[in-house]
Order: sequence, then structure tokens, then C-alpha cells
Amino acid sequence: MQDLLYGVMMYGISLLTIGGIYAILSLGLNLHWGMTGLFNAGIAGFFAIGAYTSTLLTTAESPNHFGGLNLPIPVGLVASMLVAGIVAFGVGKICLRLRSDYLAIATIGVAEILRLILKNEIWLTSGSRGIPSIPRPFEHLPQPWSELGFLAVVLVLVLVLYLALERAFHSPWGRIMRAIRENETAAASTGKDVERFRMEAFVLGATLMGLGGALTAHAFKFVSPDASEPLLATFLVWVMLIIGGSGNNRGAILGAVIVWAVWSSTELLSRFLPIDWLNRMGYVRIFLVGLILQFILQRRPEGLLPERYSDE
Amino acid sequence: MSSLLASGIVGGYGGMNILNKASVEVSKDEIAVIIGPNGAGKSTLMKAIFGLVQVREGQVTLAGTDLTNCHPQVLVLQGLAYVPQVRNVFPNLSVEENLEMGAYLNPQDVPDALVEMYDLFPDLKPKRRQAVGELSGGQRQMVAIGRALMSRPRFLLLDEPTAGLAPKVMGEIFECILGINQTHVGILMVEQNAKKALEIAHQGYVLTSGENRFSDTAANLLANEEVAASFLGG
Amino acid sequence: MFEFINFYFIPGVVLGFIYALGAVGISLLFGILRFAHFAHGDLMTFGAYVALMMVTTFGIPAMGAIPVAMLVAALLAVGIDHFFYKPFRESRTIILVIASFGISLMLRSTVQFFFGVDVKVYQRGIQRPLVFFDTLRIAERHLWIVGGAIVIIVLVHLFLTRTRLGKAMRAMSDDADLALVSGIHTERVIMATWGIGAALAAVAGVFLGIDTQLHSNMGWDQLLPLFAAAILGGIGRPYGAIAGALVIGMAEELSAYPWIGNEPLLSPGYKTGVAFAIMIAMLIWRPSGLLRGRVF
Repeated sequence: MQDLLYGVMMYGISLLTIGGIYAILSLGLNLHWGMTGLFNAGIAGFFAIGAYTSTLLTTAESPNHFGGLNLPIPVGLVASMLVAGIVAFGVGKICLRLRSDYLAIATIGVAEILRLILKNEIWLTSGSRGIPSIPRPFEHLPQPWSELGFLAVVLVLVLVLYLALERAFHSPWGRIMRAIRENETAAASTGKDVERFRMEAFVLGATLMGLGGALTAHAFKFVSPDASEPLLATFLVWVMLIIGGSGNNRGAILGAVIVWAVWSSTELLSRFLPIDWLNRMGYVRIFLVGLILQFILQRRPEGLLPERYSDE
Repeated sequence: MSSLLASGIVGGYGGMNILNKASVEVSKDEIAVIIGPNGAGKSTLMKAIFGLVQVREGQVTLAGTDLTNCHPQVLVLQGLAYVPQVRNVFPNLSVEENLEMGAYLNPQDVPDALVEMYDLFPDLKPKRRQAVGELSGGQRQMVAIGRALMSRPRFLLLDEPTAGLAPKVMGEIFECILGINQTHVGILMVEQNAKKALEIAHQGYVLTSGENRFSDTAANLLANEEVAASFLGG
Repeated sequence: MFEFINFYFIPGVVLGFIYALGAVGISLLFGILRFAHFAHGDLMTFGAYVALMMVTTFGIPAMGAIPVAMLVAALLAVGIDHFFYKPFRESRTIILVIASFGISLMLRSTVQFFFGVDVKVYQRGIQRPLVFFDTLRIAERHLWIVGGAIVIIVLVHLFLTRTRLGKAMRAMSDDADLALVSGIHTERVIMATWGIGAALAAVAGVFLGIDTQLHSNMGWDQLLPLFAAAILGGIGRPYGAIAGALVIGMAEELSAYPWIGNEPLLSPGYKTGVAFAIMIAMLIWRPSGLLRGRVF
């Protein structure tokens, strides 16, 4: 019995940890879409940049890939945010002026190019083999403290980011962003530099996605260009934001936790099925998530927690 | 009584009402002109009659049949045709294809109707396979009106048919409109060239702020000093 | 010289025609419904796998399964539009894009449910190429694909220029409001567009499967080149899309040719990036496309 309880507790901790990481990704997407109306279908790209940056900095030296500087994890995390932000700046310079569905295509393309680079530049990334043995915070502690420690790191990050973003959303900066989202021409006519604001939101959101990628790499101690099916990850984050309530930081976090909990627990349940059904259940889940998305878009597009800002 | 009647129209885009109990009437052999300052709701009234703008109060009837807020397809079948002010041709389709689209609901009439159109607009015949986007403003306008006529309408709604055209071409278009009217097609048109339009019209309506200001025969409006001063310009 | 033609030029042409069939559908849909249909690639996948089902169940060659694949795909697309896109006719296009994103995953997961993620082929075994003039080697399947694509494109052209419905589609693509005003039944035109676009995508999928192999991501992987072709040719210009597709197909295959020295100009791993680079260049430099479509 004690074993079962322990198992459930560990599962719960893991659930919250990954859910928290998804919350960070979701908050990043909220900056793009909820706040600024930028359709970023290339989340996976910034995710991957963050993951690899932190990995290359924090792993041990290896002939298989570049870097391996054995730096402490916090350095890796910060670096992942910086690099993701820089790449976002470059991408933004080229793509942000595009109309929304062109932007969507362009961001998919960017993510795809990044994936190709990660896959082909083997000297840099070890290619499709991936990079194992990535350090994990608190990994030298005994269980359950190791898991709890990591969870604490993630939760603290979520909290800090949430507070910072709430502050930003309610500030004059946030108001201008919302004005741009609602009516770009009107906002531009007031003399605000629309491009600059969009770029700021884009870069900031990307840094969060990079952070999420880095945390994931450390959580699973492994990274590869195709790990965790990047497209699915992108899609899930979108679903999380839409279900939770786009434009809304609390909604972003709530959506992430709920969708991840449902996703993860159905995966757990399907483990009890015979092996060939296991794979098939995976596809059924994806189908259902797609269907739920349609339902939410049609019936309750504002999500569970509709956006409301008291200054409006 | 064969006439197109819009009475007491209240309506507009979104939540706002631009029209405030506006009324116009055209009978089958008449040309009626709507004039007025910018923003008075003239175009909006046309669109309201043609079911493109929500009518919240009032009625649109044609020979007694209620056509308020009907689907454009119904209106075309009932004998109404509409030429918008802008974007009134299919630029990537040829002249002939544009005209064919006008007869979409009466394709059996296409061969005869095409002959009539090329009689009415002889300039278009040599260009029939040319993409309309390449034609001059005046020729484009002819295609626009021709497209509407292909459905053999009883009433033709024209929104500023001479907008942006050179004076000579303007004259040709007005001639055209007179000719069309002679074939027993009622014409309701919005015009910025108020004076010229009233000169060929039977009835006139002056619209300001979404409501009727003056409604009279065209001749009387032309003679009316107040109208002349405020609305007929130079 | 002949190595160039056999191993780079001809595959480029074949790929270009496959892209063309998909890109025409995307361009038509983009022109009439004003949104980038993210599930189009997965319609290709769907068509390819319907054909696979026919091949394994009835033993007919893949080419013979094409009509069925086209019909099923057309009906499916009309159904998808009715339930999942029609509610958003008046909404912002980005909502449609999100919905189609979801549909693409639903389509893909359905294929994966029934067929898994392993690679499949229509027909096993190596086929000897046909040899012309002692040096020109063309695989028989390439002849079928290019020939079939040309026939279909001609049929589409005739449809768009000789039939009332086809002209109505072009008219609606030019100006949907004016089409409505002219009495055109816009919902029927939309349904026809979905049917035709999906049927073309299905054929493209089968051809792709014949040319290489089938896997559940085959269509999604084409999405970028398809959009690139449509954008290159000018949005809403189906003929432009065909030209754009040929350019993209050729560019992808030719990028691996050792133009300078002995190494491929671009490492083959980056082939799919070529389409993207071309597309980005177009969007920045000349968003209306080479043939001046609409910009929005």
C-alpha cells in the first residue's frame, strides 16, 4: 500500500513538474498570441534552441558534439533564454511584418529549418542520436527529494514569471500591446512604434519558450531533434492556451495544467492496455485533443478564464 | 403598381444605425437619383435595399413583394441588380466572362443577352477576351453595368456610376443609363455629380444624416434654391 | 550531362508536378476562403492511404485506385468544411488556421491509427527504368506521374475556363462580395472548391506514394513547399501555383547538384529548407507573387 501511495505521489510530482514547464511555454505563447495577436506555429523551434543551448553548456565534454562546458545549470537556463531571444530577434526582423497566416507559415518554416540544422550539423549537436546524460537539478539527492527539488525550481520559475508578466500586462506597455492587437492601424496612428512593441513581445515570448525547452532537456536528461515530437508539443501548447483562455496569464497556466493532466493520465491509463493498443490509444488521444480544440473554438473561444483587465 | 419601394429604413453596420427612416421609391420607367453630402448614408441605403446591410426597421418591397433583408440571390431572381461603387468587376476574368457571371442565374439567356450588351457597349466587343483589370476606367464601368444588366433586371441600382471618370466618359455613361431606362428598366442611382444626375432623372431624393431631407421631382429640385445652394455645388 | 538530367532534372520535374497538384488546391482555397489551409498536406496523406487500402484489399495498381481516393477525399473535405470551417465564415482567418491545424492532426492520427507510423509502399521490388536514346533513363512511374498530372491540370484548366461553376470559382476568388451580388450561390462554390482541392490533393498524395513511399507525415512534410509554391505563383492564381510548384520542385532537387566542384551545392539534408527560403524571399520582396496575385 505504501508503495502504491509513493508511486502515486511520485507520479503527481512528475505531473506537476512537466505541467509547470508547459505552463511556462504557455505563458510564452500568451505573450505572442494572447497579448499581441502573433500566430507562432513554430514554438518547437525556440523550444529546441533553448534545449540545445542549455545542453551544450551544461554537459560534459564530448567528441560527439560542440560545447560540453560543464557549466552550472542556472547558467544554462539563462543562456537558453538569451539565445532563444536573439534568434527570435533575427526571425522577427524578417517575419513579423507578415500578415497573420503568412506569419504562421513562416514560423513553421523557421522551426523546420532549425530542426534541419540540429539534425544535419552533427559536429554541433550530435545529430539524430541526440545528447544523453544531461545534468538534472538536485539529481544527487535521494528520492523523493530529487524530484521535489526540481519541482520546486519549476514552480518558483512559474510563479516569478507569472508575477512579472501580470505586472507587464497591467502596465502602460501592456495596454499598448492590447491596443495593437485590437486595431493595429489605430494604434499606429497614435505615434507608437508598432513594430518595436511587437518585436519586444515576440522576443520575450521566445525567451520563455527557450527556458521551457531547457528545463525539459534537464528534466529528461536527453535531447534530440525529434524528441517529444515537436509538432505535437507545439499543438498541445496552443490547445492549452485556447482552453485556458488566451490573453490571460492565469488561463495560460490553468490550461497547461489541465491539458497536461488529462494528456498524461490518459497515457498512464493506456499503459494497462496490451501493447499494440497502447500505440493506437496514443493516436486516439491526439484525435480527441484535436476534436476538443474544434469544440472549444466553436463554443467557447474565450477559453475557461476569459480575459478581463480591470483597466478596460 | 410596379415599383421598387424602400420605406422608413432604419439600419446600418454592426451595432450602429446609419439610416434613420430613409425612404425612396422608383417606378419601372423612372430614373430616381439619391444625392447628399458625404456620409449621409446614400451607399448604405443602396446596400440595405440589396440585403447587404442589416435593415432593422422599415421595408423593402418590389411590386408588392417583401424583399427586406433577403439573400442577394433572391433579389436577383426577383429582378433587382446592383452595381457597387468600387470593386464592381472581376478583374482577372475577361469582359465576356464578367458578363456571363451576371447571367449566372439565367444562363439560357446568355447568348442573346451578350448580343444586347455588345450593342449597348460597342467598345467592349473587340475587348471581349481581355481581362477587365486591364481596361480603362470608363470601359470597366461599362462592364460593371453590363454585368448587372445580364440578369435582365426590372430595376438597376447604381452606386456612383461616374465616380472617378473623365467628363467625356461621364457623359457617355449618363447616355447609357438613359438608354437602359428606355428599355423599361427602373434606375435608382446614387450620384456625386448631383446636377448632371438630376438633369436626366425623374425623381430626386436628398439624403442627409441618414434621413430624407428633400423628396421631389428632379425638375423641382433643380429649381429649388436651397437645394441648389447646399447640394448641387458648382 | 545525362547524369544531371536523370538524377536531378527529371526528379525535379516529377516533384514539381506533384507539388503543382497540391498547390493548385491551396491557391484556390486561399483565394476563395482567404486562409492558409494547414490540413491540406494531410488530405494528401489521406488520399495516399485510401489508395493503399484499395491496393492491399483489391490488388489493383495504385494508379487505378486514384478515382476512389479522389472521391473519398472530396467528400471528406466537404464534410470537414461543413462541420469545422463553416462556423467561422465570418470570423478572423486566424481562427480558421487554428482549426485547420487541429484538423491536420485529426487526419494524421486517424491514418496512424489504422496504418501505424511505419513506412509503406504500394508495390515492392525495384523497377527497371525505361531507357531512351541509350542514355536517358526515365522510370516508368515517373512517366505515369507526369503524364497523369498534365492530364489532370488540363482538365482543371478546362473546368475553370469552360464551365459555369469553374468561372464562378474564379469570380469568387477575385471578389467574393461581387460574386454574391451577381447571384452566385457562394456556398455551393465553396463546396465545389473543397471537393476539387481535396481531390487534387489526393492524387498528389498517391503520386507521391508511387514516386517514393508512404508514411503518416508525408503530407505534412509537403505543406511548406506547397505554400511556397502558392505564394510564389501569386495567391489565388491557380496557374501561378503550378508554375511556382515547378520552380520549387526543380529548386529542391537541383540544390543537391554539385554545381561548383564535387560537393552538392546544398547538403541534401537541407532540401526542404529550399522551399522555405524561396517563400520567405517572396514574402519579403514581392508578396503578390511572380504573377501578381492578391496580397491582402
